[in-house]
Amino acid sequence: MLSFLIRRLLYAAVVIVCVIFFVSIIIKFIPGDPVDVMAAGNPGITEEDKQRLREQLGLTRPVHEQFVVYIWGALQGDLGQSIRFRVPTAQLVLERLPATLELTILSMVVAVLIAIPLGIVTALRQGSAIDYGGTVIAILGVSIPSFLLGILFILVFAVDLFWLPSSGRGEFLPYAVWHALLNLDFDIFWKSFKFIILPTVALALSVTAWNARLTRSAMLDVIRQDYIQFAKAKGLPDRVVYLRHAFRNAMIPSITIIGLQLGYLLGGTFVIENVFAWPGVGRLAVQAVFWRDYPLIQAIVVMIGGMFVLINIVIDIIYREVDPRIRYVGD
Amino acid sequence: MSAIEDAETVAQVSQLDAVVVEEHVSAWRKFFAEIAGSTKGLSGFVLLVLVLLVAILSDVIMPQDHTEQIIANRFLPPVFAGGEWAHFLGCDNLGRDIFSRVILSTQTSVAIGFLVVLIAMTIGSALGAISGYFGGFADTAIMRLADFQLSIPFILLAIIFMAIFGPGFWSLVVALSVAIWVNYARLVRGETLRLRELEFVQAARSIGVRDAAIIVKHILPNVFPSMVVMATLDVAWVIIFEAALSFLGLGIQPPMPSWGVMISDGRNYLFESEWMTLGPALGILITSVAINLFGDFLRDTYDPKQARL
Repeated sequence: MLSFLIRRLLYAAVVIVCVIFFVSIIIKFIPGDPVDVMAAGNPGITEEDKQRLREQLGLTRPVHEQFVVYIWGALQGDLGQSIRFRVPTAQLVLERLPATLELTILSMVVAVLIAIPLGIVTALRQGSAIDYGGTVIAILGVSIPSFLLGILFILVFAVDLFWLPSSGRGEFLPYAVWHALLNLDFDIFWKSFKFIILPTVALALSVTAWNARLTRSAMLDVIRQDYIQFAKAKGLPDRVVYLRHAFRNAMIPSITIIGLQLGYLLGGTFVIENVFAWPGVGRLAVQAVFWRDYPLIQAIVVMIGGMFVLINIVIDIIYREVDPRIRYVGD
Repeated sequence: MSAIEDAETVAQVSQLDAVVVEEHVSAWRKFFAEIAGSTKGLSGFVLLVLVLLVAILSDVIMPQDHTEQIIANRFLPPVFAGGEWAHFLGCDNLGRDIFSRVILSTQTSVAIGFLVVLIAMTIGSALGAISGYFGGFADTAIMRLADFQLSIPFILLAIIFMAIFGPGFWSLVVALSVAIWVNYARLVRGETLRLRELEFVQAARSIGVRDAAIIVKHILPNVFPSMVVMATLDVAWVIIFEAALSFLGLGIQPPMPSWGVMISDGRNYLFESEWMTLGPALGILITSVAINLFGDFLRDTYDPKQARL
């Protein structure tokens, strides 16, 4: 276990360094430099001022030296300054991170909670009306882009019905839950929760559809296996056969793919944040591209990429615990 | 004769026939019999043909000039909300005909979908075959690259590419191709590893057929069905992501028409003229439903093992 963990962490470190390397190299290829971007709005700036700025920012040093300085800074939590805001980029990203995380993780949870039962039911009732309905929902689910669904929700639930807000964000959800529990006041929770409902559902649909199909085909595979037939033959009630024997094995493909789906969901979050004016990293990233704030883009990629790599390690560990077969092969 | 009987007869015929040409013909007949026998297959196929026709013929069937701005037509509602038949999906904030723009956007989206999948499939399967067939350093290098890329969410790659090359048609094609080549590399590598050990490949090798010829003539044709299934479903994925990135302003740039851009424009007038989003929304929906239905059918029929993405 320990050697596995160390190996994975080393691998993660290598990936993160590669990301930094890749991004810094590629940003060097862009014509012009950050100083030109800064100077764009100031016609009064002279060539000498620009040169002084370049020296201040370390841009006159050789590239490999800049890279080492950047890595060294990154290790100490310094990912450079945003050109637009003139504050550390790491701070900007950290401020927005909770908003993005709560949206992504809540969507993942909702998707799994709906998809797994749906997948099981449609597998056990293969060919029935429920199964047919499941197929239709699954095809629609993977076909509707989340941003389109988001706009549809705004149109129906915000513009027409006035039930839920179309944009904005309340308190960080875990805090809101905590405060609501402390004060026994449901309103505190609702004030935060009402903002996250529409974006979450819009985001979760496609992953729900994808997972439900995955669980369904895994379940169909499993219930044809000999050990399920055997369990039935020895007279166990269906409920026990399906929930104890079949379900656990049918879940494995869904867990394997959670890491991949989180990456996919994160893409969706970046888009959905722009639909619902959700103040997360996704909006910041899109704005950073328009502002040509390269240090900020670099920080976003490095931090989100790094976080993603770490999340995948956690998923690997969970996976090894759920499915012991993997553990023996892995070691 | 019913479709299923037809399929059975065709299957029997093709078993008896040794002539290659006739086998080829009956394979096509069998394929169409399979389509006709499945609701998913048939509905997907019909919709897909429709979408492709619209994409190919868009310049001909477009009823109005897609760039012409008529001030009198600004925010003209669609025909079911009191508009006129000449602009039956209404007009946008600049007085342009929405139906014509939706049709032309089909061309953009379909072009990107096919181009990206073609590029990714070519590069991915070549690298996958090299990796699986030769093993060794090439294998390690290619698979490490694939692992590295899979450990970074696609949206970050897209943002890097857009930041560097600037948003546009070709940046989009590059970013999306880079995102999905891994799928094909992994698929082809896995199959190559398996096929390499089989007798017919060993036999070819023992009589001195060159490696490149073995890969092209013996290995790739065997992976092809799985690749087509994957490619079909990937086209839908590419079209949806193209729309999403264009919606964010990180994809297709106006004046090139794109559903994503149209929806993004329409969003500003959601309260008074929601039909500005209706047209492009229907465009995306019909296209991706068509491809997903057909891809699902292909997978069920030819590659039942492949997990859904």
